[in-house]
Amino acid sequence: MTKIIVITSGKGGVGKTTTSASFAVGLAGRGFKTAVIDFDIGLRNLDLIMGCERRVVYDFVNVIRKEASLNQALIRDKHIKDLFILPASQTRDKDALTLEGVAAVLEELSKTFDYIVCDSPAGIERGAQLAMYFADSAIVVTNPEVSSVRDSDRMLGLLSSKTKRAEEGQPPLTEHLLLTRYSPKRVARGDMLSLADVNEILAIPLLGVIPESQAVLRASNSGDPVILDKESDAGQAYLDAVGRFLGEEIPHRFIEEKGNWLKRIFNLKERETV
Amino acid sequence: MTVSSLAVEQKPCFQFKANFLPCTVLQILYYNDAILEQQLSSTLSNSPSFFTDLPVIIDLDKMKSQDAFDFAKLKEILLANKMILVGVRGGNEAQHLSAVQAGLPLLPASKLSVTEVKPTKKEEPVVRLTKLVTTPIRSGMQVYAKDSDLIVTAAVSQGAELLADGNIHVYGPLRGRVLAGVQGNLQARIYCSVLDAELVSIAGYYLTKEDMLKSPLSEGMKQIFLDNEQVRIEVL
Ligand SMILES: Nc1ncnc2c1ncn2[C@@H]1O[C@H](COP(=O)(O)OP(=O)(O)OP(=O)(O)O)[C@@H](O)[C@H]1O
Ligand SMILES: [Mg+2]
Repeated sequence: MTKIIVITSGKGGVGKTTTSASFAVGLAGRGFKTAVIDFDIGLRNLDLIMGCERRVVYDFVNVIRKEASLNQALIRDKHIKDLFILPASQTRDKDALTLEGVAAVLEELSKTFDYIVCDSPAGIERGAQLAMYFADSAIVVTNPEVSSVRDSDRMLGLLSSKTKRAEEGQPPLTEHLLLTRYSPKRVARGDMLSLADVNEILAIPLLGVIPESQAVLRASNSGDPVILDKESDAGQAYLDAVGRFLGEEIPHRFIEEKGNWLKRIFNLKERETV
Repeated sequence: MTVSSLAVEQKPCFQFKANFLPCTVLQILYYNDAILEQQLSSTLSNSPSFFTDLPVIIDLDKMKSQDAFDFAKLKEILLANKMILVGVRGGNEAQHLSAVQAGLPLLPASKLSVTEVKPTKKEEPVVRLTKLVTTPIRSGMQVYAKDSDLIVTAAVSQGAELLADGNIHVYGPLRGRVLAGVQGNLQARIYCSVLDAELVSIAGYYLTKEDMLKSPLSEGMKQIFLDNEQVRIEVL
């Protein structure tokens, strides 16, 4: 059975596309045939993060309008043979997507793919609702700040009412929280909400915590999703999250301040000198 | 002393209140005082206390005969059986005349009950269904329990809104807006344990989060109700 995953958030710029790219790579790396679709029509981004922007000929809208076949539009990933990217159109706007069109594309992909990852645009409008409509699982990407948490909460409300599963009274989709751009240091300083704060408000299972990391910007610039950077904290955090998504029990990392023991020693010394 | 100063000084000595007094209608099918007396006493022996102090309306609508009859005797029989006579309704002019002569008030012949102050359909107890929500109510969602109470067993997020014509009970953390008695029921109440609401309102009277933060409450189950047009929060 093909599984459709939507990566969504409500708020913009929280790391949906970064997550979509890394998740797609992670799932394909585990041997699942995976497609990742850019639903952000007009602001295409996924192809850049995946490093395939120079190979885009046809896009999602072309396929919906039957101007190209799905096979013509799908781009094979440069690293992993079981991974394909369906890019967004740069020139069209969000109204180019139709429910029937999206349904037809997902149905055709479902014949051959194990996982379909849908990178949602920001907002709660049509584009975001189309991206979530057919989903079996939702990964709600949230930054540890009040407005992002509020938007994620709003999104969870829509996921429970505005999806095919909800409308047809089928079992609800599975919800996962992915807390990204987390900085334990800033949490300690009180600049950011803590993991506990966010958990208390959203109250859905935690898939992982992705630390704020320089590696993400480096990865975006080079067009290699950060999950491929196995040395980096963010890369490891995404690998863990994919494992947990597949049902593995992996303890959470990157939620404590780094070098805490060092700090404790310094604190001790300071106290001694006082 | 002028009239207006008199009005200022004197407290009102009465007020009108709607009330639903239970009342029995005694339909007279035909009139014969001997038979009435005998049948009444046998009914009474079956349930001796049933008629005691029971307000009774004498209804003549089912009576075939148009003739006036002895209302004084009828009154005597009913009073002897410990009934309280409210008045007479139905019948014709001749009957009305003799009823008035016997000192019995006339009630409008319409379908009005004795509680004419405020005619209402709700004389029978109405069992209302309570609306139950067991899943989280997220930001942007609104739940309205029309004509009923609302029970929520999950969290209510900031930016969510609960409305009910009746009472509202919330068993998860309450962080959104809650409005009970939205059709104006002053008796409506809100019950919750974790109160972090953006707004609580009873029948249009409300407290904002800012108001509530001014007087922090201890932990525990809370009751929110209207007291003299003032929304009050009480820890149970
Ligand atoms: N863990 C992270 N550490 C540091 N920077 C990050 C992290 N995750 C994302 N970013 C940065 O945040 C910015 C937004 O990321 P991304 O494009 O993935 O967000 P988005 O939710 O898809 O945005 P949009 O709503 O515009 O589609 C990018 O500049 C990205 O490099
Ligand atoms: Mg994006």
